[in-house]
This record gives sequence, structure tokens and C-alpha cells, in this order.
Amino acid sequence: MVNLSDEKTVSISGVSLSVIIGRQSLLDNVSLNVKEGEILSIIGPNGAGKSTLVATLAGDMTPSNGTISYDNRDLTELSIQDRAMIRSVMAQSQPVAFDFSVQDIIKMGWVRGSDIESTSRYATALACIVEDCSIAHLLHRKFNTLSGGEHRRVHFARALVQLWRPETCSSRGYLLLDEPVANLDLAHEIRLLKQVRSLADQGVGVLLVLHDLNIAAKFSDKIAILQAGRLACIGSPGDVLTAERLTRIFQIPISVDTHSLSISYY
Amino acid sequence: MRVIAHKAAKVKNLSANQTLTLISLLVFAVAIATLACASGSFDISLWAIVQGQASALENNVFMQIRVPRVLLSGFVGASLGLSGAALQGLFRNPLADPGLIGVSAGAALGAAIVIVLGSRFGVGATLGAFLLPMAAISGAALVILLLYILTSGFGYQGVTYMLLVGIAVNALASVGIGILTYISSDSELRGLTFWTMGSFGGVTWALLVPALLLITAALLAMVPAARALDLLQLGEIEASRLGIDVGRLRYRVIFAAAVAVGASVSLSGMIGFVGLVIPHLVRIVGGVHHCYLLPGSAMAGAGLMIAADLIARTVIQPAELPVGLITSAIGSPFFLWLIFRMKKL
Repeated sequence: MVNLSDEKTVSISGVSLSVIIGRQSLLDNVSLNVKEGEILSIIGPNGAGKSTLVATLAGDMTPSNGTISYDNRDLTELSIQDRAMIRSVMAQSQPVAFDFSVQDIIKMGWVRGSDIESTSRYATALACIVEDCSIAHLLHRKFNTLSGGEHRRVHFARALVQLWRPETCSSRGYLLLDEPVANLDLAHEIRLLKQVRSLADQGVGVLLVLHDLNIAAKFSDKIAILQAGRLACIGSPGDVLTAERLTRIFQIPISVDTHSLSISYY
Repeated sequence: MRVIAHKAAKVKNLSANQTLTLISLLVFAVAIATLACASGSFDISLWAIVQGQASALENNVFMQIRVPRVLLSGFVGASLGLSGAALQGLFRNPLADPGLIGVSAGAALGAAIVIVLGSRFGVGATLGAFLLPMAAISGAALVILLLYILTSGFGYQGVTYMLLVGIAVNALASVGIGILTYISSDSELRGLTFWTMGSFGGVTWALLVPALLLITAALLAMVPAARALDLLQLGEIEASRLGIDVGRLRYRVIFAAAVAVGASVSLSGMIGFVGLVIPHLVRIVGGVHHCYLLPGSAMAGAGLMIAADLIARTVIQPAELPVGLITSAIGSPFFLWLIFRMKKL
């Protein structure tokens, strides 16, 4: 069958995820898609289902109904290895049990083989990513001795290594980031988001969970608001971020300067 | 900066230091095995045997007593060392040891059931040689599965829960062995007491060969899981996001460890702390990567176990110490040191 739609997207349609024991629905009929080259930010109160959405898109859990597809291929048809090649995930991470060094952790993201050709590709990818993320001074440290913010930066570099592919490859893949800037200082936060922006400009499709509304307004192409497992609103930052809607959802007075799209919480 | 990055860029699996360590461990194991074949309460000239000038008695002692014993201690050491390393990786828990967490006890209970009840139902000697390792393997597999089910979902606290489950399983197995001891006849009792001490004495080729085949198969099955075990240290979900089939990895390691430990215990009894100490020593020398750690633990386990058995049978000649006594004497202080070190973290 000829595929009429050439557009590369990751899409999630009509997904609802229920926890059977609590009879509580974590995600209820959520539909959205991320096009390649686009940054979609997910915002919303705690417990709205943002991390569940990321985990479901990543394939960690199976939705009770609805489908997820990457580049028009259903997620359930993709093997675990295929999934690792098409999307990269960075989420809240656990401690590592043994004394792996930072360069070991980053190398774990390399999913493209260990023959001689792949090895030289890895060398190229690593050199670029280490420079972009400015983590060269951390490479030989033990991962477990780093600070929380440094952990995040190393995991981000690992996610980029996983996403790396040759220039000739037509698809740039998808990056799913669950609160990537938690624990980062202001300079590293902006730096990381600028990197995400430039990846999107190269064609990577990005889904981003954020808490800072101003940051979301500045760096996103589209914003989706999740509230109690439902998609409250999705669209361009200017359309979604209105004072009335944000005040209603976050239940504190919020004002929006519509001209510069800057948001004040008090 | 580029230079640093390039130096770091070796996807090549083993570092030079690790390759060197593995070669040294292999040389050590072969050297100690040669020494152990030659010495004992009756010294044999290996040179005479190679030249065919040894007496019939020397040849006999060498082929029927020394070689099987050294082979057995080497393979048991390799299987306990490697199983310890693989289980520590699978459970992401530095204190996982087949003895401490009850896997060896489960295997011993399985073997004890065959020893005591097998003779009552008239199981012959030939069938027994296979039934014994099989029963021990089943016992070991049951315990590992139970541990996995009970400790998954505890996250990082799993370290403590695993040891608590181990205490319960060890107690339960000793109850089972106790009951079997109570109902056993004199000759069965002699067979049973040997499990609680651990010894390599009295092994014959007929018992040895099936167990060696099983252990070899298990060791070969575990080594290819090295990269997956590395990635598993990020957490099960992270590993599966990186393309690892965690379910398959889990069953591969559980099954191989059960076969290795079960076959070992069925021949040598419970030998404690080897699976705990060996992987830690190997990590201290050359690093935590499983592509190095798994073969390294097998070689170091083999070498050190042959050495421990050599000490056990020569230090108070002509009598013999149980080898389990020696490994526990070294291992239990090491265990305490590990716990002390965890407190500081």
C-alpha cells in the first residue's frame, strides 16, 4: 500500500489509560501529535497525567484503548529494538547500583551496534554531544558522585547519543523529555532548551513536559494543557496561554501580557 | 576537548587494563590448578606423568582423585563467582550471593529430597546421577523466581528486602533438611551432613561429567548477556527504552544461574560467600562492566576455589578441613565490610 501521507509524526489518538485497582483513569481520551521539527510542550498541575503521557508514548505501558503510532507505524508493531532506534526518552531516573563512570552511562545510549564502522560513528557523535552539552570535565567522574543537576545533564547527553543518526537518514527521530530542566541552574536550563530548539530545527520531533509557563511560551511551537487526565487545550502558545484559562486550571491568579507573551503568577 | 572526547570514544568493549586482568586471572587459574594436581597428602611428579614414567599408583591417584577434584573445585568456583556477578547485576544489588539469598539452600533441599526419598522409591544409581543435579537446579530456580517476585517493585530498598527474604528461605530450607535428617537412615544421614559443610572430596567421574556439562552450558549462556546487564543498571524501564528485552534477560539469567548453582551444590554442598566476594574483588581490580566482570568472576572464582580446596586438604594433613569453612572464614568479614561501606554512602 502506498502511504499517501508523507508527513512524519508521532501521534497518540484516543488514548485512555486506566488503573484497574483504584478505578481511576490516569489519561482519558487524549489525542495529540508531534510533527518532526516541532516542539510540543505539555503543561498542567501535578497529577494531571503528564509523566503517564510520556511513559505511554514511550511504550512503557500499554493504553487500555486507543493507538500510538510513530511515522504511521503502530507502536505495537515496533519491536523493543525498533523503538530504541526511533525515539529517545529522558525521564526521572533512578540511582545506578554500581560505580559506572559518566562515559559508561553515556555510551549506554548508543543503540547502533559495536562493529568498527559504528564505533567510529560513535566517536563522532560523542565528540559533538560532549561539546554541545559541555560535560567533557565530567566524563571520567563516577556517575554516582555527581549532583542532581549533573545527573540530568548526563542523562540528556545519553538521550542525544541514542537519538544520533547519520546525515543520510531521512527521519531524525523523536525526543520525549519529562521535566528535563528539573534541578538545573538558570544558565544550564536555557542552554539545554536552546539545544532542544536546534535539534527540532534539524528535524527532530520533541515532546517536552515543563512547569515554567514562561519557558514553555518561549520555546514551544505548540502547547498542550493536561488537567486531571484530560486534554484541556492544545494549540499555539498565543492561543493556549490566556489569563482566564491559566487562572482556572492552576487555581491561582495569573496574568498574561499578550503582546510579549509573558506570564505573571502574582 | 576533542582529544578527551576521542579518548573516551572507545566503544571497544574491554579496556587494555581489563584485557590484561582477564589474561592474568586465566594464567593464575591454570597455574594454581597445576599446582593443586601435583600436591596433596601424596605428592605427584607431573613431569613423570607427562613422560609416562609414573607408577601405576601415581597415575591412579592423579586420574581418579586429583584431576576430578581440581576440575570440580574449579568449575564450582567459576559457577558461583559468575552466578554471583550475574545475580548482582540482575537484582541491581551488590549483596546478592547465591548462599546469602537462599538459592544454594533451595538447591541443597532439592538434592536432599532426592538423597533421602529417592532411595525409598528405588531410584537407581545411574538415574540418581542425573536426578540429583536436576532436583538441585529446580530448588535453586524456585528460590530465584520467588526472590524476583517478592523483591520487584521495592526499587532501591530491594537490597534489604532481598536479604530478609534470603533469611526466610534459608530457614525454610533448613527446616526441610532437618525433617529429612530426622527420617533418614544412617547411610542417608552421612550423605546429608556433607551438604551443610561443603566439600569436594570423594567425587567420581560418573558424577562429575553431567554436572560439568550443565555448568559449562550455564556459563556460556550468561556471558552474552553482558551489555544488557550493564544497561539494566539504569533501571528496568530505562533499559527497555534502550532496546533491551528485560523479560528475556531476566529468564536467561535466572535459568542459567539456577543451573550453575544447582549443579554445583549437588556435587559440593553449600559453599558460602564465594558468589559475594569474587565479583567485588574483580570489580575493584578492573571495573564494573559486565563484559569484563562476568568472565573475570568465573576465572577468579575457579582459581580461588582451587586454592581454597588446596589449603583445605593440605593444611592439617592427613586430615582435611571442609572447604566451606575456609570460604566462610574469608567471606563473612568481607560481608561485614561491605555493609559498613554501604552505611557511609
